[in-house]
Amino acid sequence: MDQLLLSTLDTAKVKGAEYADIRSVETSQERFVVRNGAVETITRDESTGFGVRVLINGAWGFASSPEITADNLNKTTALAIQIAKASASHNRNTVDLGPAVTSKGTYITPIEIDPFKIPLDQKIELLLESDKSMAAVKKIRSRLSSLVFIREHKIFANTEGAYTDQTIYESGGGIQSTAVGDSEVQRRSYPQMNGRQQGCAGWEYITSLDIPGNSEKTAMEAVALLTAEPCPTDIITDVIIGGSQLALQVHESCGHPIELDRVFGEEAAYAGTSFLTPDKLNNFAYGSEYVNITADSLRTPGLGSFGWDDEGVPSQTTPIVRSGQFVGYLMSRESASTLGLTSNGCMRASSWNRLPMIRMTNVSLEAGTWSLDNLISDTESGIFMETNRSWSIDDRRYNFQFGTEMGYEIKKGKIGKLLKNCTYTGITPEFWNSCDAVCNSDHWVMWGTPNCGKGQPGQIGHTGHGASPARFRNIRVGVLR
Amino acid sequence: MIGEPQCRQILETAIQVSRVDECEAFLGTNELSLTRFANNTIHQNVSHSDSQLHIRCVIGKRQGRSTTNDLSISGIVQCGEAARENAKLMPEDPDFPGLPETAPSTKVLAYDEPTAFLNPEARANIVQQITIHSERNKLMSAGFCRTGINERAVMSTKGTWAHHAGSIAGLLITSMTDSSAGWAKGSSWKIDDLQIEQLIEQASSKALSGKNPTTCQPGEYTVILSNYAVDDIISALNFYGMGAQMVQDGRSWMNGLQGHQAMSPLISIWDDGQDQNGCPAPFDCEGVVRQRVDIVDNGVVRNPVYNSYTAGKEGKLSTGHQISPVGGPSAHNLFMSPGIHSEDQLIQSTDYGIYITRFFYTRLVHSTGCTMTGMTRDGTFLIENGQITKPIKDLRFTQSYVGALKNAEMVGSENTLHINEGSSSTNVPAIKVNSFNFTGVTV
Repeated sequence: MDQLLLSTLDTAKVKGAEYADIRSVETSQERFVVRNGAVETITRDESTGFGVRVLINGAWGFASSPEITADNLNKTTALAIQIAKASASHNRNTVDLGPAVTSKGTYITPIEIDPFKIPLDQKIELLLESDKSMAAVKKIRSRLSSLVFIREHKIFANTEGAYTDQTIYESGGGIQSTAVGDSEVQRRSYPQMNGRQQGCAGWEYITSLDIPGNSEKTAMEAVALLTAEPCPTDIITDVIIGGSQLALQVHESCGHPIELDRVFGEEAAYAGTSFLTPDKLNNFAYGSEYVNITADSLRTPGLGSFGWDDEGVPSQTTPIVRSGQFVGYLMSRESASTLGLTSNGCMRASSWNRLPMIRMTNVSLEAGTWSLDNLISDTESGIFMETNRSWSIDDRRYNFQFGTEMGYEIKKGKIGKLLKNCTYTGITPEFWNSCDAVCNSDHWVMWGTPNCGKGQPGQIGHTGHGASPARFRNIRVGVLR
Repeated sequence: MIGEPQCRQILETAIQVSRVDECEAFLGTNELSLTRFANNTIHQNVSHSDSQLHIRCVIGKRQGRSTTNDLSISGIVQCGEAARENAKLMPEDPDFPGLPETAPSTKVLAYDEPTAFLNPEARANIVQQITIHSERNKLMSAGFCRTGINERAVMSTKGTWAHHAGSIAGLLITSMTDSSAGWAKGSSWKIDDLQIEQLIEQASSKALSGKNPTTCQPGEYTVILSNYAVDDIISALNFYGMGAQMVQDGRSWMNGLQGHQAMSPLISIWDDGQDQNGCPAPFDCEGVVRQRVDIVDNGVVRNPVYNSYTAGKEGKLSTGHQISPVGGPSAHNLFMSPGIHSEDQLIQSTDYGIYITRFFYTRLVHSTGCTMTGMTRDGTFLIENGQITKPIKDLRFTQSYVGALKNAEMVGSENTLHINEGSSSTNVPAIKVNSFNFTGVTV
């Protein structure tokens, strides 16, 4: 394999590439789904292939193929060269990749128990037990429980001398209960939205979630929501946002706008651009003094944890927001050099047949100092909201609206009535500047977002976001028609 | 493209090596070349091909699955063994009706050789037409030109054999100034059907006339939704509930509405996988011939689409809507009936309202009525006294999509085909909707 890949790079150079890299990827995935008492899916998916990226006259070409043979490597490289030349024929840009990347080494996700060595019937049993617990709760109309395990073995090499070998493991799972009343439908998920918490980890991650032990409670919450009072309509109030919901808020309103390819307009036709233009770097109050956000690809079990990115740049830690000030981007080699910086290792591709692009690593809100009990006690009037139900944000990442599965009224420092159909809306910098308290590390969890869409052709990225509950003052809530 | 004879050979091998009483094998091949541009230059340019062999082994009321892209004999054998072993582990599912009996699939022409094999130079030339026009008009453009092939074949021990290959072509353009944007998207299975110059003009004229937008206060407005926005509505109604599984689970907007006049009598929506005016695919992943299904008939909500599992639960036959090898059924080639008015007439009939080019980042807020939130994007304008008078900043809406179609007052006469990334399609007109609810405005 080594020689095949390296000779492909030689071929690319001979054919005129100024730079080339190659990734071979073997992915194994197990998925288990139990729906309404029946095992809907037990499947084992295997996918293998490689992608070649070449740079010619300042223009990129990328081609990929599932067949890793010498003949096909040459053919695919020739196609990548043809594509790059076609790009170059209308190109006026130059590409500066910055310092050469010569990384070498091996990385394996630190896991305690290989999830692929756990017998399949043990995994099914866990889901059936969870399903049974949910089924015991009256008014539950549909139940879904699932597990997923991924192992990705990836070799990367480039014409600058880099050669890295990585095996990334992911384990995930969760449940969803949907209750149906006379004129209402309500859903609860555990551990988080879509019933799927996922991390770069082994089987021990699944057992730590205790999915069966939380199933009955989750179903009962869904039923309780049927008769809960609705969120007050269109009022301004204080909100305490729970950790998993805040993780998605970080993802959408911070993680995406700090992607430097978006900033430079490369996603303008699809995902959009960003309000965090380069003039704002080190010169913009993104949030209040309590807001500290970090991108960190070393922080397992976050889904953005790895040894090197798909340009061979080592994993690292990057401050993004410090005491409210915007101080850092997520960058590739090419985009970083445009700002006179060097890459902080954020280029990742979802598969062997996709081009690497700037993706979030583990972009996390750092813990503050409050206990959740003290924060609630300190809140005269407001709403506690938890577990995402819907999310939407504009193409520059300013105007957002989120809905949560459940909420609780807060009155005179105490948790009050259960609330359904909670939503809140705002403008990103105004929202983060209204943050006046973040809970401490006792409440901080690394949440997984395994469904981040970006790029054309589309790619589904897996990202991590640590967060603990935090309070935001004077937020508009209850927008629902 | 693998081609029909080799697909047959691969699937015969898959059935043989699986060594169970009942077995189904699905082979899907996707070849895609996509030239992407931004800032008036090509910045990403890719080509890929991949095949997925999906084997479903059935032992009594148990079924196990496995997928691979290794189409060598050893790869197929491993995939078959994994599916068989998975089936042995499954508990029995009393609702599993067994593999479906299928009728012979009809052939539908949806393949165009020049589209399937368009080379990178030709795609770059199309992009250059866009970027030259943009530079002349002091615009920045972004988007893509894509072409490709989708091939699928199904075989089962029940005698099912079906094969289909189709091509796709797509052109997407976002043209921008510092304060505005315009959008155009063309789709077909024939590259020559793309109206390239017309799409360039459409995107650039909206960008140029959208400069320096003013703020319009949120509230209820009459809106003219271009076909791009209507595509979002129909696609969301599909995603959030046109499939029988969601209805059976009580999670669909159709729940409680079947048989009722929930939408304007002007609205009819149906799915038809055989219609060449969409992106046809004549059979589903179970090899069942795709039936035309009337989902909304003159405003009355009719039926969801079924796969064999959900159909079996209700004692019905599948309508041929197992769109992916796993998961529930969904519609795939949706049509909405056109009206009699041009888009200009929809605007002229509006005293005060908003013209919307498209919606962005739309998500379900509540399943009842398919209540959605999202943003307008790439060309939002105020209409006064029957004319577009000025551009406005993008607005956030929170609105039931069923309610929007209930409030549809006029329907455009010209339908446009939209083929999305998974090759699902809608063929829809523009519409005029009263009392559309905007809940916020962006910066």
